[in-house]
Amino acid sequence: MNRLTQPGFQTKDALFVPYMMSGDPTMDASTDIAVALQEAGADALEWGVPFSDPLADGPVIQEAGKRAQKTGGNLPQALAGMKEARKKGLHIPAVLFTYVNPVLTYGVEALIHDMKESGFDGILIPDLPYEESTDWREKFLENGLSLVPLIAPSSQNRTEKISKSADGFLYYVTSLGVTGERTSFSEKIADDIAAIQNFTEVPVLAGFGITTNEHVRHFQSIADGAIVGSAIVKEIGKEEEALLDSRTRADAVKRIKSFVEALISY
Amino acid sequence: MRPQIKFCGMRSKKDVVNACSAGADYLGFIFAPSKRRVRPEDVCEWTAELPQNNRALLTGVFVDEEETTIIQTAKTAGLDIIQCHGNETSVDVHAMKTALSGVQVFKTIHHESGALLRMKEFENAADGFLVDTKTEHSMGGTGTAFDWDAVPEYSEEAKRQGVPIFIAGGITAGNADELLKYHPWGLDISSGIETGDEKDYRKMVTIMKKTANVYAFPDELGRFGDFGGKYVPETLMYALTQLEEAYHTITAEESFKAELQQELKRYAGRPTEITYAGSLTEAYGGAQIYLKREDLLHTGAHKINNALAQGLLAKKMGKTEIIAETGAGQHGVATATMAARFGLSCKVFMGAEDMKRQELNVFRMRLLGAEVLEVQSGGKTLKDATNEAIRHWVANVDTTFYLIGSVVGPHPYPMIVRNFQRVIGDESIRQMEEICGKQPAEAVACVGGGSNAMGMFYPYINSGVRLTGIEAAGKGMDTPDHAATLSKGRKGVLHGALSYLIQDDHGNVFEPYSISAGLDYPGIGPEHAHLRDSGIVNYEAVTDDEAMDALEDLCRLEGILPAIETAHALAYVKRAAKSYSEDDALLVCLSGRGDKDVHTIQQVLGGADK
Repeated sequence: MNRLTQPGFQTKDALFVPYMMSGDPTMDASTDIAVALQEAGADALEWGVPFSDPLADGPVIQEAGKRAQKTGGNLPQALAGMKEARKKGLHIPAVLFTYVNPVLTYGVEALIHDMKESGFDGILIPDLPYEESTDWREKFLENGLSLVPLIAPSSQNRTEKISKSADGFLYYVTSLGVTGERTSFSEKIADDIAAIQNFTEVPVLAGFGITTNEHVRHFQSIADGAIVGSAIVKEIGKEEEALLDSRTRADAVKRIKSFVEALISY
Repeated sequence: MRPQIKFCGMRSKKDVVNACSAGADYLGFIFAPSKRRVRPEDVCEWTAELPQNNRALLTGVFVDEEETTIIQTAKTAGLDIIQCHGNETSVDVHAMKTALSGVQVFKTIHHESGALLRMKEFENAADGFLVDTKTEHSMGGTGTAFDWDAVPEYSEEAKRQGVPIFIAGGITAGNADELLKYHPWGLDISSGIETGDEKDYRKMVTIMKKTANVYAFPDELGRFGDFGGKYVPETLMYALTQLEEAYHTITAEESFKAELQQELKRYAGRPTEITYAGSLTEAYGGAQIYLKREDLLHTGAHKINNALAQGLLAKKMGKTEIIAETGAGQHGVATATMAARFGLSCKVFMGAEDMKRQELNVFRMRLLGAEVLEVQSGGKTLKDATNEAIRHWVANVDTTFYLIGSVVGPHPYPMIVRNFQRVIGDESIRQMEEICGKQPAEAVACVGGGSNAMGMFYPYINSGVRLTGIEAAGKGMDTPDHAATLSKGRKGVLHGALSYLIQDDHGNVFEPYSISAGLDYPGIGPEHAHLRDSGIVNYEAVTDDEAMDALEDLCRLEGILPAIETAHALAYVKRAAKSYSEDDALLVCLSGRGDKDVHTIQQVLGGADK
């Protein structure tokens, strides 16, 4: 059991899960922002790891990774940062968002051990498709951590087997392409999500390109919840200078919190 | 995976035990009129003591038998597979499958005109195939082989249907090597393992040994040993599956083969010659040096082989937009050339840094009608251009064909690019035989991503020819400025494949250094990683200085200006030639010409006369 698999998360309607890049622009600022996102109403948190080749990410998150790398961001730092965030009062489920290569370097066994110690509940690896995931999925599962799978509009006949492997939640990629803001979405998404919900008990969350309050409400109605990344990361990016200065940081964090509150208010 | 082996015509408990101890994967029992006919209850007795785990699969051979008899026999003998060897129809096969749940039904196809169509008739009905020699009076079992040139077509069709396929008829320890060159999925052997009328254990072992050495990568998961695979966002998985299926179907078609053959010959200039480098041989001493002249191809390098072939594949798949990544611009130019020739739209992703360094190639691509997209992300070089091409592909996966330029990327790309470049090695084998009457002692090629090397090496694997790939050691292996991925890298995933990578302590991949723009890739094709780790190919590294030195030698002694990439292979030849005698030949893949590098060469050598 982890925080994701508990009823509090599994049965709640209209989930909201934000993504942020750990260490953007510093780890200290990130941990404050994490707590602020929880206060704004986040039901879980995706905690990004800076990486040199984030090929599923658009320019906004690429830039965030660069900002984090400037102040020493990497996988060990992301783990240490979560430990710090927990000390600051973060209690919602946390998902480590990383590409395959940093995990290979760290070693999957060591990572599992350290993720548990840092207070993580799951992991999401965007370049690890179902076929390559079997070994790792079992290892995470044995250790009470969820490996969150992704399904895309192009998954077609792969949907069933992926859905059935889901633990924690399932990430439905709303549109082809990389992470980043979108203005429109395909009509067939609602049908796809309904089909996935037939195969799995876990919440199906929609992400990729969800930018406005209207988007959030739309996806909370057709899916079990919405994931917002780039829109929030962009706000954090705008506050880079204020977040780097200890005198202005608290106000910057407040502005980010207000932005998120407005994003998800009904 | 090595080819699967079926020993057929087992007639005693001793045959069964011998076949299993030799390591057979399948055992065949004849239940049709034949000198090898057996009774189902005997089969049950002979196989009763075989271990239940991992035991060879028991196959019963029937010719136009009654369904009820087959069912009864299968039950009594405990068969795993029914092999229909007569004139059964797809309806019969289907009915048999329904009646015998848990037992697979294979269909024998006799090699004759229309045999491929007949295989297609059994799609979704047969669980597997066996192709046997057609004879006037008998349904196979005559011990004669058919023309194995047809084997790849049968294999492709079975692969397309996703089912196993055995090649049968006249296979012996003496000719198995010949058949194995066609990479069959499985071999069915009967008279070939007999002496007189008896099965012969030694012959079984000989055949098994021959197949154990067979190189058959990638496997079904797209892996070369530990390496390769498909590490891509879920959005692309469907496109990769679709590409793999299309590759197998389309490249098996006669029209595709003929058209590609025409383009390679009449447009690109294949076959390329092999030139004897007499003065270089004299200067270096030792082995006779031969050059496989890929530099003579249209656009000046081997890249065009793959660009034309993938372009034609894209066209047949109905894709209208081609995208490609490029570092130095050679693959970009080859792709833009192909797109102009085939009337396709073409976008080339190129790092902003590389665009500055390779201004002329940028202009060349635009002249050819391609759109060159400046990549500002990351370090703004080839690695980032590849990321950006993948990002574009993810967003436009329905209409776009991503034409990867080397044996890198997710499966099936490393396999596809290798197979489209193997023409280099295939021609070399033929030409060396013509010119020297023998194969070289060693074949050498430079390795960045590794496509010219894979093209040269693949047909030579396990042939006894020593194979050597040359990486760029840049300013030296003990400096941080090198691109020697295999020598200095660590296992990791980049651009969709597991291979060796030049990376930092946290798994961030960084730009390697080489004087040659075509070798400074932080990864290497996954198949090279496997070939190195399994000891099949030998890899060495050569510095900038050694490469430039060899480049000057070839210019002055042979009147050929090679690409700086290629000069790395030549620098190794300078080192290695001496260790051979004059009776040995050394073959170098002269992968590209150096006109594109004149500017760099001038800067390094200062334009001074020597």
